[in-house]
Amino acid sequence: MAGLARIGAISVILMLVALLAVLTTAAWPSIQAYGTSFLFSSDWRPNELNVPMKDGDGHVIIEDGEVVMETIPPSFGALPVIYGTAVSSVLALVFAVPLSFGTALFLVRLCPKKLIGSVSFLIEFLAAIPSIAFGMWGLFVLSPLLQNYIEPGLRSALSWIPGVNGWLFEETVKRGSKVVTSEVPLTGSDLFTGGLVLAIMILPIITAISRDVLRNVPRAQIEGTLALGATWWQSSWEMLRYSRSALFGAVMLGLARASGETMAITMVIGNNNQIKPSLFAPAQTMSSLLANEFAEASTEIHRSSLCEVALILLLMSLIFNVVARWLVVGKGARTSAAA
Amino acid sequence: MASSTLRNPRRSSRPLYQKYLRFSNGLFMGLCVASTLLILAILAMVMLYLLSRGFTHISLDFFTKVEIAEGMAGSPGGMSHALVGTGILIGLASVVGIPLGMLAGIYLSEYSSNSWLGAPTRFIADVLSGVPSIVVGILGYELIVVPVGNANGYAGALALAFIMIPIVARTTEEMVRLVPNSYREASIALGATKARTILRVVLPTASGSIITGIMLAVARVAGETAPLLFTAGASRFMTFDPQQPFPSLTVAIFLFSTGPFKDQQQLAWAGILILIGLIFLLNLVVRLTVHRVQSRRFAGA
Repeated sequence: MAGLARIGAISVILMLVALLAVLTTAAWPSIQAYGTSFLFSSDWRPNELNVPMKDGDGHVIIEDGEVVMETIPPSFGALPVIYGTAVSSVLALVFAVPLSFGTALFLVRLCPKKLIGSVSFLIEFLAAIPSIAFGMWGLFVLSPLLQNYIEPGLRSALSWIPGVNGWLFEETVKRGSKVVTSEVPLTGSDLFTGGLVLAIMILPIITAISRDVLRNVPRAQIEGTLALGATWWQSSWEMLRYSRSALFGAVMLGLARASGETMAITMVIGNNNQIKPSLFAPAQTMSSLLANEFAEASTEIHRSSLCEVALILLLMSLIFNVVARWLVVGKGARTSAAA
Repeated sequence: MASSTLRNPRRSSRPLYQKYLRFSNGLFMGLCVASTLLILAILAMVMLYLLSRGFTHISLDFFTKVEIAEGMAGSPGGMSHALVGTGILIGLASVVGIPLGMLAGIYLSEYSSNSWLGAPTRFIADVLSGVPSIVVGILGYELIVVPVGNANGYAGALALAFIMIPIVARTTEEMVRLVPNSYREASIALGATKARTILRVVLPTASGSIITGIMLAVARVAGETAPLLFTAGASRFMTFDPQQPFPSLTVAIFLFSTGPFKDQQQLAWAGILILIGLIFLLNLVVRLTVHRVQSRRFAGA
């Protein structure tokens, strides 16, 4: 029994080792070919490109009446997907964190005892709804709603503020020597929609952990503030301040989940490998890139580059998870998968 | 200790400041209630929409027919192949994932107290449960699909097992830990070995709650799509051979809903309804049994 049980424990460790080893091996050709420039290049071109060769002055070379062509090899850079992942996850936190903390405070301090159980169950059930269901809802409900009503509404409401119009609703493109400014088409499949869907998906985990954390604030701490004459909100603020590091851990766990989320984000983010300042431009995250391209990657270097993206995603989520658990552990919150 | 507004007792006697305090207190209390209501409203909105669309499009064909390609007579058919596929995938994943996960959990609870292996295993199990599931899919692809040469059911099942193991391990550990030590001592005092104690006393005592943990893990993998995309792949046929590309409910829903055909999208809505229904049932059963187990424990204590 002891031996068998140890096999179980060792296999858990081997799982992580296998994950790191296999992904690193698979990503090795790409790591060797591109090095650190992989992280900073925004060029994602899986296919060779035939372009007219140019001379030193930028003129097309013509020999014997024919344009001389040259072949540019495929090239891969992860900057657009890192940008997409970062922006959509941060956006999700901006929407989700205030709501989660408010709900956690409600559950700990305001909610009638009889309701606590069912409200908690409902919110935790939100966490059990599969990603693909949120994806379909986002694709068929949220995205058209945003495209037809909310995004145009935001444009007319916000674009008078100096700077906002240029940032969110206009894009400048270089066409040859001219710089053209045009409106960003509002498609409903963009970073903003992605952030909203992610926010809904990370609400339950941030709420559940911060509820557990706040519940474990020592009674004396709360009673002390009340005895000093604090209002309900002042003493609640004290509770938030008192447990700030564990709450930060809860936010990190939410961030970890948001950045690794795949199916829902793939269905609403627009899947366009580009970096645009506007939140209403379609984008691509690391996970959606993998979901879209991995099955169709035909060349060795393309697949290897995708594996490197997966490796970056894995390392990022490991870091978020380790830091979060380190902050939350011992604060009475469940951080395991059952939470 | 208290926030800065509390430090000056003279300030707090000013009527304007009193007004501000009352206002901010009411405002934030209202915001807390409002955020709870908003979350519940979002849940209701999502659920009602998914359920109503699902019920509109569900039919007997959904359960009895396989997918029929667009343009053929009887299209779009049903998703029986995907239902069976998901069932087989979960079954295979459980065969690998549940024993390994339980063993790891038993190790963590019963054997790890004076071993270097305990802390890292626990930590890694926690961290593994946060790994993005698409990355697990890529691991399955590189480890199994590449050597074998085609997408297959076994690869999909192993990817799901990979996700199950940490969940089962941590819940088993937590549940086994709840068994009172006096049970173990009594068994050992009667001359039982440690292995016998675990098998005949500890596990049966904790069995109810371990099963709920397993059901949570099953509910979790039943809804997974990303790890199956590159491992099990997809299939339009009813198949029982896991060496071939294997259908699953979630991947079929994904392909249907992002595809161009209206009637396939309607099948996808029905599929979502079945999936959520299944997951809801599992969660409900877990919740009810956990309550029973807990109240029994308190009654016995």
